[in-house]
Amino acid sequence: MPELKIVKNATCTFCGCVCDDIELHAEGERVVETKRACSLGESWFKHHTAERLYPDALIDGKPATVDDAVEVAAEYLYRAHMPLVYGLSNTTCEAQREAVFLAELIGGVIDSHTSL
Amino acid sequence: MGGKVTCTLGEVKNRADFIIYWGGNPAECHPRHFTKYTLTQKGKFVPTGRKGRTMVLVDIRETPSAKAADVFLQVRPGKDFEMVAALRALVKGQPVDPALVAETGLTVEQLQDFVNQMKSCKFGVLFFGMGLSMTRGKHMNSASVLALAAELNAFTKFVAMPMRGHGNVTGADVILRYTTGYPFGINLCRGYPRFNPGEFSTVDLLVRGDNDASLILGADPGATMPQPAIEHLARTPTIVLDPKVTHTSKISRVHITTAATGVSAPGTVYRMDEVPLPLRPALKSPYPTDEEVMRRIREAVMKKPAWLPAANGRLAARA
Repeated sequence: MPELKIVKNATCTFCGCVCDDIELHAEGERVVETKRACSLGESWFKHHTAERLYPDALIDGKPATVDDAVEVAAEYLYRAHMPLVYGLSNTTCEAQREAVFLAELIGGVIDSHTSL
Repeated sequence: MGGKVTCTLGEVKNRADFIIYWGGNPAECHPRHFTKYTLTQKGKFVPTGRKGRTMVLVDIRETPSAKAADVFLQVRPGKDFEMVAALRALVKGQPVDPALVAETGLTVEQLQDFVNQMKSCKFGVLFFGMGLSMTRGKHMNSASVLALAAELNAFTKFVAMPMRGHGNVTGADVILRYTTGYPFGINLCRGYPRFNPGEFSTVDLLVRGDNDASLILGADPGATMPQPAIEHLARTPTIVLDPKVTHTSKISRVHITTAATGVSAPGTVYRMDEVPLPLRPALKSPYPTDEEVMRRIREAVMKKPAWLPAANGRLAARA
């Protein structure tokens, strides 16, 4: 039986409410209880486990290492005349800042879900 | 705050005695909005909680949120802009043509009552959802309700706030605003930011086939975008960072699995009222975070000579 880990005042990132009063109970690789979360938040936390369900990376659909994938990604973006960096919703502000820096380096367009 | 007349959800909780939801269904899409921030909480200046507040819902159909409302105004689909225009005229005491108001599916009396309530409240707040901002009129609708809230400040305190969907889409607005000066749809290909929605917004870019590579982070356009946009993503090199192998991953040249934000990746996320909150992940992921992978891609690009020769020394100094 894995040890029960309790995280108080956890933050839910499913919707724009970003409720930060959730109590999470985690056992090993999954969240088993989400106190005060709504039904959407509960399924969000329980749906994302820490299991290794997918390969680290895929290049042309074939499993690859992150090191190789990073190099190939950098090469594609570097070679492009007009690359696009898009999304930015379901990620952290720290990653968004890196995305802006990258977009500036490669001389690309940066855009989020707001434009939809 | 990007020029909006707005406030935080804490102020709404402590002050708002008149709450409008327009084109949104919080009962199903933001289930704790009523109970945590707006309607049922007791606030410092609203000590009686729900009894001390009035709620109006404006929508094209009677959603489950209508049960929570004191007044439900059913606007005809695509007539939101006309309704806001009539309300703004009535706020200023201008005459409105009953025949034009009738096109919105409502009567002048209903709108006049609505305006009287807005003007006589102590602190009003207008939350608007995608039913307003993503339907006919789009950003013009958002601009008109923001103007309505601003104009009501001649009579009382009134604010407006968009009901944001996906977790940190508000953060994307904030980060892009303070780094480039613009909130979305920004082109940096001349070495300085240019903003032009319609030209540099993703759907338009992809449908026209203007870009020749894409990096997708925290989104799954392969499941949501129009077919011509998806085809262009498949035709050009696409790179995806996602906790799962998504629809977009399947049409991409490169997919990198990352830790799930907030569940197993730490960081900061903005709430819809632009209050930044720290994440407290409960799990430890076997995958790297988005932040780490983005940094590594950026560092790999920086090893190559800069495309803008003058930037070589400057960019190296920044890293």
